[in-house]
Amino acid sequence: MRASFTLILGLPLLVAALILPFVVADSYVVHSAAMVLYFAYMASSWNFVCGYVGQVSLGHAAFSGIAGYASVLLFTGLGLSPWIGMILGGVLAAAISVPVGYATFRLKGPYFTLTSIAFAEIMRIWLENTDEFLGIPLKGAQGLTVPPVGGTSFLAFQFDGKLPYYFIILAMLVGVMAATHVMERSRLGFYLKAIRGNRDGAEALGIDPTRYCLTALALSAFLTGLGGAYYAQLFRYINPERNMGIDLSIDMAVMTIVGGQGTILGPTLGALVLHPVGEMVRASLGGHVLGLHLIIYGVVLMLAVLYFPKGIIAPLQRWLTPASKTTAPQTTVTVATPKEVEGR
Amino acid sequence: MSTRILEVDGISKRFGGLQAVSPLSFHMAPGEILGLLGPNGAGKTTAFNMIAGALRTDTGAIRFNGRDIVGEKPWDICRLGIARTFQLSKPFGGLSVVENVMVGAFVRTASEMEARAEAEKVVDFLGLTAKACTDAEDLTAFDRRKLELGRALATGPRLLLMDEVVAGATPTEAQEMVALVRRVRDLGVSILIVEHVMKVIMGLSDRVIVLDYGKLIADGPPQQVVNQPDVLKAYFGERYVQVHA
Repeated sequence: MRASFTLILGLPLLVAALILPFVVADSYVVHSAAMVLYFAYMASSWNFVCGYVGQVSLGHAAFSGIAGYASVLLFTGLGLSPWIGMILGGVLAAAISVPVGYATFRLKGPYFTLTSIAFAEIMRIWLENTDEFLGIPLKGAQGLTVPPVGGTSFLAFQFDGKLPYYFIILAMLVGVMAATHVMERSRLGFYLKAIRGNRDGAEALGIDPTRYCLTALALSAFLTGLGGAYYAQLFRYINPERNMGIDLSIDMAVMTIVGGQGTILGPTLGALVLHPVGEMVRASLGGHVLGLHLIIYGVVLMLAVLYFPKGIIAPLQRWLTPASKTTAPQTTVTVATPKEVEGR
Repeated sequence: MSTRILEVDGISKRFGGLQAVSPLSFHMAPGEILGLLGPNGAGKTTAFNMIAGALRTDTGAIRFNGRDIVGEKPWDICRLGIARTFQLSKPFGGLSVVENVMVGAFVRTASEMEARAEAEKVVDFLGLTAKACTDAEDLTAFDRRKLELGRALATGPRLLLMDEVVAGATPTEAQEMVALVRRVRDLGVSILIVEHVMKVIMGLSDRVIVLDYGKLIADGPPQQVVNQPDVLKAYFGERYVQVHA
């Protein structure tokens, strides 16, 4: 039922995303669209764990920063291709997420959220105040720049136009959605939903909550890390505030919650609505009122929670799949799902 | 060992100044339905939770098929073959009836196909096939209770611990549940059942044990046990026993 809905809504969006840069070739538009996709990707990575276990992490930006720094440093220091650096950075973020998650997943609700903020802020503040660590030049708050290799080099993750960057993040977004889809149908997905629904009940059915939450967190941290490394390559620059600040963590969480937690398309819808709103407000008011886009976020979040407690995806789902309300067709569709899976 | 699927050997639990369960020993034979009785606050649920691994025992041993399971986590105990139901049935929201049962079935398989096939069998066994695709949160209280039983059954238990299965059910529903529990036993599952409703436990159990103030006061066939003065005293008080003696 959900898969078909995801396709009904997702395919037109994908087609639109594919033709957009050819219809509007303006490089500012392409860049802005890439940023929407980037936020959609990051929110989807956040959703991978938080949306399914129902815990709000506001520390995910740390994973972005860890992998971003790793990929840039491996490139500048060892000349390693950012593509490889991206993967290694993601693995590093996943490795760090495990002990952090081990400590924090025992906590529930606001306590989990607070410790996640503390973790990310400690990382950021440490990085901002560290010029060199074990001989590695981190350059503190100043940040690192990616030296240009000149021209387009796929291996160096450097391209002349914005278009390649746009399609790379689009592919990454489709990838994270596919990963979410597979996870939803796997034992892990069922277990995460069970833990979210009733933790004691889940434990009595043979589920070790810590183990499965950590598995999902590590995967989520890896995905978030890939996004962080992409961001560093897109701007050819990385600093603690932009790549691992709390703003990024909040964006990931808010976009997902507004769009619809625990769904494949929800985070993307959230990014699609919120990022342009934030950008337009920022552009029209310039630097007059700093942080106004965050206030707008707050207002949109409040409205969304009030009117669409399950995210803006919920009413769309009702309109696009009216059949799911009547019992008979629903049964046939759901029963068809395993065959569908088997067919692939 | 083969004649005892469960051996409880001197388990006890103290909460602060309250000795909730005094050293308690009993055993269960394979395929037996054992009723655990006692007035409110007798320590039934505490004893139950200790066996299920939700509470740590202060003393004693609990052997399941000869293996001591004290200190094991609830999920490990489930994997060993002991399933439980809760007094309050809380389905996993956002999942359908069959998907709720699949969560239990995933203990024995990582394959979504196999888990679904197993869950469909269990849902059929419960007589919930017509509601298989309903969101579990839309079920009636009694269907939720059946679902709770189904989730536990899907884990493939050898021993099933059931907490207050007919609380709040209508007489018809209670009868249906009793029939269902018998059918579960016919699958070869031993059942330890905690229950308040005397009528249910009398008809269902092969043997009952009675707790009062954390102590075992009776053990035997249901008809015999309910006429013991200690048991009557625990339920109805001293004067009732004197008057009817």
